[in-house]
Amino acid sequence: MLDITNLHARVEEKEILKGLNLSIRPGEVHAIMGPNGAGKSTLSNVIAGREGYQVTDGSILFNGRDLLALDPEVRACEGIFLGFQYPVEIPGVSNMTLLKAAVNARRKLKGESEIAPNDFLAWVREQAKKVKIDPKMLSRGVNEGFSGGEKKRNEILQMLVLQPTLMILDETDSGLDIDALKIVSDGINALRSPERSTVLVTHYQRLLDYVQPDFVHVLARGRIVRSGGPELAKELEEKGYGWLEAA
Amino acid sequence: MSELASTWADRFEQWVSSHDAAEQARRRRQFQRFAATGFPGPADEAWHYTDLAAQADAGYQLAGADVAGAEEASTPIAALPGCALLVYRNGVLDRAASSAAAFDGPALAASAAAGSDDDGTQDDGGIDALNAAYASGGLVYTVAAGQRAAQQLQVVLQSQAGDTPLMSHQRHRIVLGAQAEATVLLQFVGHGGPRLTTHVIEVTLAAGARLHLHRLSSETTGATLLTRLDARLDRDAQLHLSGVAVGGGLGRHRADVRLDGSGAELHATSLQVPASGAHVDDLVRVVHAAPHGTSRIVARGIVDAHAKAIFNGRVVVRPGAQKTDSEQRLANLLLSRKAEVNAKPDLEIHADDVKCAHGATVGQLDAVALAYLRSRGIPQAEARALLLRAFATETLERLGWPALQALIAERLGLPADELDLAFGDAE
Repeated sequence: MLDITNLHARVEEKEILKGLNLSIRPGEVHAIMGPNGAGKSTLSNVIAGREGYQVTDGSILFNGRDLLALDPEVRACEGIFLGFQYPVEIPGVSNMTLLKAAVNARRKLKGESEIAPNDFLAWVREQAKKVKIDPKMLSRGVNEGFSGGEKKRNEILQMLVLQPTLMILDETDSGLDIDALKIVSDGINALRSPERSTVLVTHYQRLLDYVQPDFVHVLARGRIVRSGGPELAKELEEKGYGWLEAA
Repeated sequence: MSELASTWADRFEQWVSSHDAAEQARRRRQFQRFAATGFPGPADEAWHYTDLAAQADAGYQLAGADVAGAEEASTPIAALPGCALLVYRNGVLDRAASSAAAFDGPALAASAAAGSDDDGTQDDGGIDALNAAYASGGLVYTVAAGQRAAQQLQVVLQSQAGDTPLMSHQRHRIVLGAQAEATVLLQFVGHGGPRLTTHVIEVTLAAGARLHLHRLSSETTGATLLTRLDARLDRDAQLHLSGVAVGGGLGRHRADVRLDGSGAELHATSLQVPASGAHVDDLVRVVHAAPHGTSRIVARGIVDAHAKAIFNGRVVVRPGAQKTDSEQRLANLLLSRKAEVNAKPDLEIHADDVKCAHGATVGQLDAVALAYLRSRGIPQAEARALLLRAFATETLERLGWPALQALIAERLGLPADELDLAFGDAE
């Protein structure tokens, strides 16, 4: 599904990713862990196509296509979803308006007609319940006045509605209490399927108790320095990241 | 002005001689006032950003009833739902295009013969005098004490010209008795060659009266539209004023509002979205002449390629106008290097126990929000439109008239709001 080869990327003048390789097959859950400043968020943002990140070498293939040639909105319509570490507030654009515009953009790309508003509303409400978001909040501005936990749950709601094939969750677990962490994890697990892949970018092992990864990678100094199974996360939890600096 | 005065004076004399002696004298007096000052230029502080000097040489002819005639009479003008409709073309009432209801109601009367009996103590760079010298009739709308107008009144003021530059000048009056309530929309439209249109609107609100007065100008290239509102509010009266400028041409809109009675309130909302090449200049001046008055000015502008938007708010608190509560919030989105914005909230305070806040911002579209919307699959153009709509929404919502809000959103080419879906019945 996703093949990253020798990826080099920079933000402004600073090289952050220095020859990263990663391959993800359909149905797999990969956790990417590492110390602060290792390049975890840069990797997420490069995959999603955010502006300000410059790829200087290497390639990313998504289902065989050159992902780097596509605009961020096209990547999203093709099935990539990035759950942001810091979701933005957009007063005046309601959550419902965002969801409807996003769904219709996908339908338009496939040559389908716009979605029927009433069916859609019912469907979104159902998803909102799963992440314990009051349907009334759907008519408010995107993340407007939402607490930190509500913003993260709103990211998961968007994911449930948009049904991506590749979910990238950038530190979605940070700043969540146990209840919220469980709601977020349930949302991610609900979407797990043989066709869908997940990348969990996290600093902590805690999330992985709720969402079991197939693979765990350690990202340090711009590349993946170690890969393993779930047991690697436990090891990191015990030993911390200090040994990486020493290595 | 001195030499052009002769051209203008000859034309004026020709025209004015058909009036009776008293009328001639009155109009001559006004014309002389205009001739003395001429069109305002950059030296005039209130016209700092809008130079009308070139208007003097434009060769305008006074539009007559014949010009306002048959050709356009067939153009249908859509009334907003539930509105009584009045249509003026080049200053002449078009009864056929207006709705009967506009003439029927006991409180509602449109007249084609409002005189210019006012000697124009206000002076807006000679334009008031020009208007008074030539003024044809306009709207005379009186709502008696304690009455609420049965319908909203939509007044369409259309300008049109062919190869010959034309001008028309109208004077309107809106008078609400004590505790009376009414809603009026002044809608300025037009097309064709060069045309100069001036409107003076006098508003008098007796104690406790409430007027919602909206202006929607969607003029086109060729238009020079100058409006001036002169409003006086008695005790506890409320004026809810809105001015929305979209489209092209040159528009200059001045509102002078005097809070004469204690507890009077002005709530002014402005939205400027000039088309490329257009120039829009708003001045809202409110004078707090009595204690416990409230004024709120919320103005927003979305200014793109080669357009120019000016908004000046001016709050004057007279001595003795204690407990005045005033706020001015101006915000603009500047979307192009070629666009120009001038936004200034001004304060002049001569009382010591007052609350006067003001602020102005000019910025660009939020790049982070734009990136977020795109990351969800929304194409860039649509994402921009959503954010622009969001910026305009706060002002539109203040209008409190959904049909008008929808009309403006449509004129702005903004995407439809999805919020009509019922959320209230959530289980």
